[in-house]
Amino acid sequence: MSLQTPRILPSHLHAFHPSSTGPRTSHTVRILGTVTALRGDTATMTCGNHGDVTLILKPDSHLQMGKLVEIIGKVADLDNGSGVGIRVLGSTDWGSPADCDYKIYEHVVNATHKLKPIFYDE
Amino acid sequence: MDGGYNNYSSTYGGGGGGGGGFMPGEMNNSPSGGKSDYANQTLRPITIKQALDAIQPYPEAPYQIDSAEISSICFIGQVRNISSQSTNVTYKIDDGTGEIEAKQWIDSMTADSMDTDDAANPKATRGRDGKVELNGYAKVFGKLKSFGNKRFVGAHCVRPVKNLDEVHCHLLEASAVHLFFTRGAPGAGAGAGGGGGVKGDAAMGGTGDEYGAGAGGVGKNLPAMSPVAKRVYQLLRTEPQSNEGLHAQLIAAKLSLPMPDVARAGDELLTAGVIFSTVDEQTWAILEF
Repeated sequence: MSLQTPRILPSHLHAFHPSSTGPRTSHTVRILGTVTALRGDTATMTCGNHGDVTLILKPDSHLQMGKLVEIIGKVADLDNGSGVGIRVLGSTDWGSPADCDYKIYEHVVNATHKLKPIFYDE
Repeated sequence: MDGGYNNYSSTYGGGGGGGGGFMPGEMNNSPSGGKSDYANQTLRPITIKQALDAIQPYPEAPYQIDSAEISSICFIGQVRNISSQSTNVTYKIDDGTGEIEAKQWIDSMTADSMDTDDAANPKATRGRDGKVELNGYAKVFGKLKSFGNKRFVGAHCVRPVKNLDEVHCHLLEASAVHLFFTRGAPGAGAGAGGGGGVKGDAAMGGTGDEYGAGAGGVGKNLPAMSPVAKRVYQLLRTEPQSNEGLHAQLIAAKLSLPMPDVARAGDELLTAGVIFSTVDEQTWAILEF
């Protein structure tokens, strides 16, 4: 079975946290957002009007401010104990956020979680 | 929260267009394995998980997804590996729901005529989309195959995707088509949707008041019927007409459907009692109370 990376919004983060009880074995997710802050080894991504997510970068992640990026990463605790973030495994630059309708992504996330049989194993 | 998004609400009226034109159940009636699938020339948008989960009822049989035979399929994913050999290019595609290999054979004979597959033909002029890149997104069109125990896709065309909306649109399209096959066409409460169909039937026996309510969409309380019948009904509803209604020929022309299909749809609607024939048997109007 190949690795699945469910598409999520920030509100789903805790459901994929390693500590969350449930049958889920994978904590790797996909999330879409605009890079709004870069701080060396962490960054902040804004996901439409669904709030921010803190990204824990790896040395070779090259994120650019203001770009729309799709992140694949593992849900993890932040070092300073201030909640949950995503440890970046890979990122795809999609250019200007204006070129993508975030509403469609919200619908995709909804559909993918409602129609598990065609998208993700439980 | 975890349980919160598992319950499915049955409102999916929005995106149904994707699967138009074929009926569930229609696909299963060719028991002979040798029979080729010329009658089933469909291109179905799917997720990679659906490709991996596709069922083969017996060896060498056509694959089925949601109990419907598949012919050509298409999916969008990220290219995780490109391996170029002398006879083919193999792409490993990952769309978040699974991973599958797409093998595109290089045919030197088509090198000058095919401008759809630039990867197989590096010398061809690149389309405006450029070439398929590692870790970039690509849309694959092809047929599901297997070799030994391994599934792969024999790709007709692999092209890069540069717009994220297209990726999302594809996933929604795959959802809509999946729902079409598992729950019936949208609009009519779809019969298969359990309670919806029963309610529709009740309305049939009753006053039928609710019919007019479904402005724009096909009336919400229509009994379960084939997609073609629904389109015919919809046209009869919306098309300007005299009180003689519309002739089947005209309906066939307007919907670009063959006459036999329209005739069958007409029979279905007549039987359901939602239309009636006016000046002759081929001219129908909506039966309204």
